[in-house]
Amino acid sequence: MNDRPELFRGNRIFLSCIYWAFVLYVFVPLILMVIMGFKDSNFIGFPIRSWTLEWYTGVFADAEVISTFGYSVAIAVLSTLISVFVGTWIAVLLEGRKFFGRMAMFGLTVLPALVPGIISAIAFRIYARYLGIEPGMGAIIWAHAVHNVPFVVLVVMARLSTLPKSQIEAARDLGADPLISFIRITLPYLVPAILGASIFCLLLSFDDFVRSFFLGGYDPTLPVLIFAKLRSGMSPEINAIATVALVLTAAIGIWAERFTRRMNKDS
Amino acid sequence: MTYEAPARQDGPAAAQTSADRTFWGRLAGWGPYHALMRLATASPRRQFLLLAAFPILWVLTQHLGPMLQMLRVSLTDAYPVAPGVEQSFTLDNYARFFGDSIFWMPFFRTLIFAGVFTFCTLIITYPVAYFLARHVSRKNQMLFLLLLLIPFWVGEIVRTYAIMILLGNTGAVNLLLKTIGLIDRPIPFMYTSFSMGVGIVYLTALYMLLPLYSALEKLPKSMNEAAADLGAGAWTRFRRVSLPLTIEGISSGCTLVFLISTGFYATPVLLGGPSTTVFAETIAGFFHVAGDEWPTGAAFATIMFMAALLITATFQRLMRMLRKGENA
Repeated sequence: MNDRPELFRGNRIFLSCIYWAFVLYVFVPLILMVIMGFKDSNFIGFPIRSWTLEWYTGVFADAEVISTFGYSVAIAVLSTLISVFVGTWIAVLLEGRKFFGRMAMFGLTVLPALVPGIISAIAFRIYARYLGIEPGMGAIIWAHAVHNVPFVVLVVMARLSTLPKSQIEAARDLGADPLISFIRITLPYLVPAILGASIFCLLLSFDDFVRSFFLGGYDPTLPVLIFAKLRSGMSPEINAIATVALVLTAAIGIWAERFTRRMNKDS
Repeated sequence: MTYEAPARQDGPAAAQTSADRTFWGRLAGWGPYHALMRLATASPRRQFLLLAAFPILWVLTQHLGPMLQMLRVSLTDAYPVAPGVEQSFTLDNYARFFGDSIFWMPFFRTLIFAGVFTFCTLIITYPVAYFLARHVSRKNQMLFLLLLLIPFWVGEIVRTYAIMILLGNTGAVNLLLKTIGLIDRPIPFMYTSFSMGVGIVYLTALYMLLPLYSALEKLPKSMNEAAADLGAGAWTRFRRVSLPLTIEGISSGCTLVFLISTGFYATPVLLGGPSTTVFAETIAGFFHVAGDEWPTGAAFATIMFMAALLITATFQRLMRMLRKGENA
């Protein structure tokens, strides 16, 4: 808030219009998509003359969608576990004492996050074959895990930089070795960051298309399934599937946002 | 975060001294563990090596490895190598790129599109970030920001599909225009560079908004007020105060959005048409067919990556020079 609002009132009204227009731009497409899933017709498009719940109930009866959903969740959970483990370890190294080549190490650490999607997918595809990993669940988990490590590192490093050094020193003075002082002091302090990063990784993996598409075997993940269905034509069925994915990711996102904020406030 | 008291493990162990009572106390005193820790922490050097070995190995083999392998495959004549055939190195895959406009046209189109879309994202999100950082009370800032974050948790494919519904011939925009009587026949928005632009800006806006917001938030309000007191109008204040002081945010937001937009594959496939084929589709084409096309695909991906890096590095350098120039 400005101390002297009279100076900037004109700007303020103008800018708030832009903000709310942007909110509309961001929300309207998604709201329309949800509404379209209630249309009682095979054809996507306005106007909607009659309504039905059939598409939504159909989603929960569709064995393919349900199993795809489980497949995506399993991939997200497993890849997140790997990312969080590796990412935390790297963050502890990078936030620790200075060493020769730390900047290079940091550069290499964030590399997977900076490589444009298609190139990262291709590189992983080639490397998977080089390592002898067949396309399929293992390959997707591996690619998602590697791709998500940088995000964990950045979040955990930010939290580590605020860890009071005196606590570690106190623990060491009391005779704790590095491993135990890490587990007893550092790790509990990192919990909010690790949880936040985990949720972020879960969502990144669950939403990822390009890596799942190029590294997948015969079973599709949820985004790949929606993509495949879209290529054979738009239908309210896709709206219903996409809406279920949307509600789930948005709910987890909002919950995580609130959760991490509360955790950060407490500490 | 609270540090709760260590979980007491009462029972037979409770009789021991307080230091030994906890699980960790007992672990530290346990012979084999103690010996192992002594060995591991014998010197700072050894301790550091134990900490650093795994991360270094990981980033070299998992982060750098795929890129290097891609580069290597792009220089070979066949991949994977058929048994009994000698693999040889060649630059033919790179030469192929320059030989046919069907290859370099999508390449330049991708770079131009990514540049234009990045600029559009900047223009659209700057006022939004400005409003959030300067005109919303601190208490509400997070709420207003969170409102914008929600849709960005939703995946790329779902959001692309939402744009398809919005812009289709029987989509919401056409319905609206028809209802208010601006048009008789629907405007074919879909499968053009316009629909692709709307989709990509929609997907990348957040990556621009957050760096801009954090740069603007750091800007002291007094600066703007001082400029206003000196008689600077809104436009001058923006051009001479806010803009130069947020160049860092602009630079990192643009870099991020540019890199992301060059990498989209599904969005151009779904929202674009035959006249808007991007390089990602060209590259992907080599991986849908049998393996012998992989080296070409790898070479094209390498070209794309190098070009994207070169452009963003140049851009960042320019921005840095601009900032120095403004300060001088």
